[in-house]
Amino acid sequence: MKTTLHITGKVFLYVLLTAASLLMAFPLFWMISTSLKSLQEANAPKIVWVPSQILLDAYRNILSDPDFLRSYFNSTFYAALALVGTLISIAAVAYAFGRLEWPGRNLVFFLMLSTMMIPAQALIVPQYVFFHRIGWIGSFNPLIIPGYFAGGAAMIFLLRQAMAQIPKEIDESAFVDGASYVQIWWYLVLPLVKAPLATVATFLFIGYWNNLLGPLIYTQSSDLYTLPVYVAQLYNINSTTQPWPSIMAAAVLTTVPLIIVFFFAQRFILESVVITGLKG
Amino acid sequence: MTDNPYLYTLLMAGVAVLFIILSCFALGYLARGIARLAGLSKVKQQNTFAGYFFAAPWIVGFLIFVVAPLLASLYWSFTNYRIPNEPVWVGIQNYARLILEDKEFRGSLVNTLFLTVIGLPLQIGFALFLAVLLNQKMRGERVFRIAFYLPVILGFNAAVLLCWRLMLNASNGIINQIIRALSNGFPPFGYLNRAIIYIVEVVNAFFLGVNAGNFTMLNKVVDAGFPAANRVPMWIQTALWTKMSVIILMVWICGTMMLIFLAGLNNIPKELHEAAEVDGATPWKRFWKISFPLLTPYIFYNLVVGMIAALQIFEPIYVLYRDNAPLAPSAYSMVYNLWRSTFRFNEIGYGSAISWLILIIIMVVTIIQFRLQNRWVQYDLY
Repeated sequence: MKTTLHITGKVFLYVLLTAASLLMAFPLFWMISTSLKSLQEANAPKIVWVPSQILLDAYRNILSDPDFLRSYFNSTFYAALALVGTLISIAAVAYAFGRLEWPGRNLVFFLMLSTMMIPAQALIVPQYVFFHRIGWIGSFNPLIIPGYFAGGAAMIFLLRQAMAQIPKEIDESAFVDGASYVQIWWYLVLPLVKAPLATVATFLFIGYWNNLLGPLIYTQSSDLYTLPVYVAQLYNINSTTQPWPSIMAAAVLTTVPLIIVFFFAQRFILESVVITGLKG
Repeated sequence: MTDNPYLYTLLMAGVAVLFIILSCFALGYLARGIARLAGLSKVKQQNTFAGYFFAAPWIVGFLIFVVAPLLASLYWSFTNYRIPNEPVWVGIQNYARLILEDKEFRGSLVNTLFLTVIGLPLQIGFALFLAVLLNQKMRGERVFRIAFYLPVILGFNAAVLLCWRLMLNASNGIINQIIRALSNGFPPFGYLNRAIIYIVEVVNAFFLGVNAGNFTMLNKVVDAGFPAANRVPMWIQTALWTKMSVIILMVWICGTMMLIFLAGLNNIPKELHEAAEVDGATPWKRFWKISFPLLTPYIFYNLVVGMIAALQIFEPIYVLYRDNAPLAPSAYSMVYNLWRSTFRFNEIGYGSAISWLILIIIMVVTIIQFRLQNRWVQYDLY
């Protein structure tokens, strides 16, 4: 009796889990499905789950659009350049907080944690004025360079926690052997925190790739549009039928890097959310 | 300066790196000098140098990109600064205009309140539900966990939000097509659908009334009575539904909250559940008497973070409503309103006042929630 109950319970649970997963992943499926449809099927009044005939026209259209390709390049350029500088500076600051003893460290660390309370958007107006004054509006600089100053308190915190767990003796023996702080940081400590570094890199990449407000404010000319800005304006309210297959083809191509990165990093990400989320 | 934007940015990035390295040395030497004056030992002087050397990027960035902007915007919020004019002191005029006259700002406040009161409980409830499902430790749990977290990754990318715009289309969007098919094929679902439509429209009409200062819309909705059999939600087509669409997105992107609940569930000592099971408690009872009280700190955390996030929702509103001028104000979040009011006419002074009000609201909300938590959050059972 008890085992049968157990089995029906399990089946019920699996049904629930599967239904919830399908629901959560549905937009992704719908995006891909629509991108392969004809215009008629995409705007049909009846449900068309999968296209009756798989058409690649939408992809051909969007890939021959120079604006799309340029915005793709812009996004890649922006994300890559911002990622490298931010990651290295965050690694340096995390090293100072996690492994070095210096007067004032706790105070500075506390200050850093308290900046997590300040929403980035509350700083956008004065930062805009600052960038306007130094002539950086209409360039990628305001999107990229602030990150070089170890932007992202939560990420520093995550990396600091990982670095603080490595035994201190490693540094000390290297120090006795005559290694400098920079050498210890780069050759000893960083290789030991590869997984947390990968996590931070993933979070940063996703943040940059999805960023809409920043590029919207700072790029200003369509030559510099990043993908989110470009894709958002593909929907044109003035026309009666939207070219949904093309829009969704652009959407699929935009999300592919995110899915690839998430696929490789999901193990680290799913664990680290809890570390930063709870203790931050 | 070069004409190529990429080379220009690479060049500037190089300059920035140089500047940061220089400031690392400057701060390091400065700190060591002070340590020497304070009479610290040689080793401690060296440590002081290293500490400030490595922490310098953050310290310098904090001063340039956080402290200075905050102070500047505090000053500008009392001026009529508008690029390219120079700021002129106007006292509290900006704040007075915001609080007393600006309908859109008040609307954004009411909208945020709506998302917090209606949307956040739904979001937290769904996240908790998913976490409890995953916590049954079934085979293949990892795959489900990935599926539930995927929306956070894709989440607020404009491309994915456009797909939602397609799905939420009232006439031939897939969501309403499914609702129609289910209502036709299975009458109880139809009644449920109409009941939900009725409740949603009444609640939304009430909030729109609070915002507009009159309740004609609410009267109209109530007079119209129970929705007709062929009604479907009007998601992104009417002001009565704009905020519900945003709530759907909030619920969809609950993966981070779910992971936090999952950690909370893992932290509950197994013995408690085993003891209760021996005493014959049903799973349902065990959840409410054991798990739920022990999860209250996590619910509290999600509540604080979720409320602050609701103030800042930007991308969904931009993608769903940006080009729909008559409809958009019914969904403005505070940050969206900040962006619109500030950058339409470069009104820096006014925008600074909004920024500071947002900052103050966040501080107050956080403090209130931390004060209230003693009444209902259980920490002592750990």
